[in-house]
Amino acid sequence: MAPDALQGIVRQQTNPARWNGKAWSAFVADLQALGVEVAESAATRGIFATDAGGTAYGLPHGVVIAQSATQVSALLKAAQAHCVPVTVRGGGLTTEGESVAYGGVLLDMTGMSRVLAIDPVTMTVRTEAGIYWHGLAEELRRENLDYLSAPLNMTSSVGGTLGVGGIDVNSARLGCSADQAISLQVVTPTGEIVECSDNENAELFQRVILGYGQFGVITEVTLRIRPYTPLRMHYYYYSSLRTAIEDLQLLDRNDASDYSGILTIMDCAVNLLVAFDSDEREAAFKANWQQRLRGYGEFGFALCMAGHYALRPWRIGEALYLFRRKQAVFPEFRRPEFHRDGRMDDRTVVFSRAVWKHWGSRNMVIPDLATSADKFIEAVERGNKVCRKFFRHYTLYCVGIRLRPEHKPHYEMSCVPPDAEGWAYGCEFEPMIEGEVYSRDHFQSFKNAIYDIGVDLGASYYRFGGMMKGYIRRVFGDALVDRHLAMKRQADPAMILNRDVIF
Amino acid sequence: MYSTAHPRDYPACSGCSLCRLVCPMWRHRRDPRFSPEGIAKARQNGAGVTELADVLDACTLCGACDPVCPEDIALSDMIMDLRGELELPPDLAVLQVGYAQAAAQAAPAPAGALLLAGAALRADPTLLTQVEALLGLRSAGDDGADLAVALEIGGDIDPQRKRRFLNAIDGRSLVVGDGLLLRELRRWLPGARLQGLGEALGSLPAIRRRIASTDFYVIEARAFHADHARLVAHYDGLRKDRGCAMNLDLQRIAMPARASAYPALRMGPAREDLEQARWLLQGRRPARIVIEDAAERDVLRRVADVPVLHLAELAALNEVTVYA
Ligand SMILES: Cc1cc2nc3c(=O)[nH]c(=O)nc-3n(C[C@H](O)[C@H](O)[C@H](O)COP(=O)(O)OP(=O)(O)OC[C@H]3O[C@@H](n4cnc5c(N)ncnc54)[C@H](O)[C@@H]3O)c2cc1C
Ligand code: SF4
Ligand code: SF4
Repeated sequence: MAPDALQGIVRQQTNPARWNGKAWSAFVADLQALGVEVAESAATRGIFATDAGGTAYGLPHGVVIAQSATQVSALLKAAQAHCVPVTVRGGGLTTEGESVAYGGVLLDMTGMSRVLAIDPVTMTVRTEAGIYWHGLAEELRRENLDYLSAPLNMTSSVGGTLGVGGIDVNSARLGCSADQAISLQVVTPTGEIVECSDNENAELFQRVILGYGQFGVITEVTLRIRPYTPLRMHYYYYSSLRTAIEDLQLLDRNDASDYSGILTIMDCAVNLLVAFDSDEREAAFKANWQQRLRGYGEFGFALCMAGHYALRPWRIGEALYLFRRKQAVFPEFRRPEFHRDGRMDDRTVVFSRAVWKHWGSRNMVIPDLATSADKFIEAVERGNKVCRKFFRHYTLYCVGIRLRPEHKPHYEMSCVPPDAEGWAYGCEFEPMIEGEVYSRDHFQSFKNAIYDIGVDLGASYYRFGGMMKGYIRRVFGDALVDRHLAMKRQADPAMILNRDVIF
Repeated sequence: MYSTAHPRDYPACSGCSLCRLVCPMWRHRRDPRFSPEGIAKARQNGAGVTELADVLDACTLCGACDPVCPEDIALSDMIMDLRGELELPPDLAVLQVGYAQAAAQAAPAPAGALLLAGAALRADPTLLTQVEALLGLRSAGDDGADLAVALEIGGDIDPQRKRRFLNAIDGRSLVVGDGLLLRELRRWLPGARLQGLGEALGSLPAIRRRIASTDFYVIEARAFHADHARLVAHYDGLRKDRGCAMNLDLQRIAMPARASAYPALRMGPAREDLEQARWLLQGRRPARIVIEDAAERDVLRRVADVPVLHLAELAALNEVTVYA
């Protein structure tokens, strides 16, 4: 048995069964009487037929566009009464079908996407939870403010992100987005509207944060914010992934940079990005750490690669691929309209545009592994081997996540691996589809092979819900899952909220 | 059909939602149906034009969605094509006929480079005279205003009418006031030297040097997005040169000052226009607002208590006053 293809794991390759529609009409009539619109046209339902992953498909019976906590509360109360499943969706950027509704109601949170108050004194913002991080950035930037950390994807929503994690290239320093939340307004599965934080209804707060929407719908959020600074970006190039990861972890351990992460083009062309909010931090890095990094600058690396391929002319195809990829992707990261005086205005705009343009397609197949710092290199190397088996070209994105010891209860049964102390590390494995046609089974087998590594290593995953549900008991163990299931049953007696995502 | 053949159409939509971020009709309603993504996805699910009528009718054709779509779907073309299958809004159909009659009676175009003023600029004769003087151009009596309406409402364009219009202007340098017409002229006359009014005026040193760092500069969205890759550099240069704030979002997409459908044709601002204009100015404290499109003056005046000046009007100002 190959270590990266464990046998005996039940492969969950299909969508969950579609809800049978029992009592749908009575449910809709109840909601209509309360003034809640349920859109039932195929055109509206079709908007939500899949998620960013594009491998799970399901249609809701109807769509409710979130308007207010009161409306969401009415919806959930009626759903409990009629046992109608409700699937909550923010940006829909899940990849395992977690935000796809297999019947029942799809609750689209982007309807609640207004900023409610910005407080530059306490450095906080109160916002509706369906807002896209990019929408929030647009509003904060008018006041010369910024959020702390968010996915490098403009269309992830705040609420959806707090439910799953939220990793930025500054997470090695500032932690995940979920750790930035000070308090939440939550509508519980039975329809109560509750404010919660570390000090108020703390248990609910702990379960909702990183909780994949199992314990309530997040309708409003208070987040920490900070003064806006454009950032100065540096790129270092490596031909060894292991060396790059060692250097990444060195920087993170020593708080040597404000932003750090690894993005590969190929196994032999690895890019470590390092960036700074201020000249002082940049100067300190240059004085103390830069010379310890083993990567090259762009020109040095190009020479290195030229030498490498000159000695291996039979690998000209690989060299050409590398060159083409560089020509296509690099300019995207350097577009002058997104830079001023050598500084990048908005990392999320630059990275998100590049990701959708050069990696995106109707299938975002991006399985990941989240491990403790010391297991990370092994996880990445094993994952890489799996990628090689399934695809010609693929890229990796690796980043550190600073953990907050006081948030340990939030991390229980989440993407944060149970054995991680100080930092967790995440690696996303992303095949380049490049116009090729692969079967859904091919994608699924690839994902399973990556996820198997997580089971073997005792790791966790950024995306562990939806079609990955089969892994949850294996990675977290029956005792923990049963404890959470009991809490879920108590909070959601009819088990209507985001059913089939985790339990 | 006015749009050229597209390599990419609605089936290519991946549902990334990037187009929602820039779409004024989505911003106003926060309803996914009212977005290019909503239309593309609805089409993928078999929705016909009748089902989409409200959405198609709400689109401002600002073109902001086109440059942001990573799948390169020609979204505003898709909307224009679909609008062609809807019933024409009666008031605008009447407007189109009126403009067409005026065009038929217009004197032949004067020789040389021309200004195609468009309806909004024509509605302000003093401003039009200023623009002509500044650019050193004469206006064509037939500026294609009826064609611009037809493009906007998805009405039919008589091929003979189109040929007559194009024959009269082909081979000339043109400054075009109507963003939608400009966009189409780039396709109809691929080799022609064409500029939008904002770009032409903003390139004049006498105007450019009067743009102050305390100004809020409102780019006309349609002309901008129709040639985004090139113009983004032009306006970036202007912003760096003059230090003024602009109606560009973080993706360097121009937020139009108005969010209602047919903004240049229905001159009076609607409620969503006021909301959109307020959003444009939120968190900004400019000393003046400078506009490229005369049709945006009214709405901005209603929400701001600072002067709202057309680019052409800057030339008449004393430079000292500007920088004082
Ligand atoms: C191209 C691409 C790039 C990505 N880049 C990054 C990255 O850089 N960093 C990163 O961290 N992630 C990244 N992701 C993953 C993605 O950003 C996260 O899954 C995302 O933050 C989820 O936000 P969302 O709004 O899309 O949530 P959704 O996908 O809509 O939902 C996620 C889960 O939360 C639930 N949910 C949604 N809204 C609420 C709510 N208001 N209340 C309760 N439950 C809710 C849903 O039911 C679902 O189970 C990327 C994904 C893609 C496709
Ligand atoms: S930007 Fe393009 S691909 Fe993305 S959702 Fe909109 S139409 Fe679809
Ligand atoms: S043209 Fe403008 S209003 Fe119309 S769909 Fe595109 S972004 Fe929205």
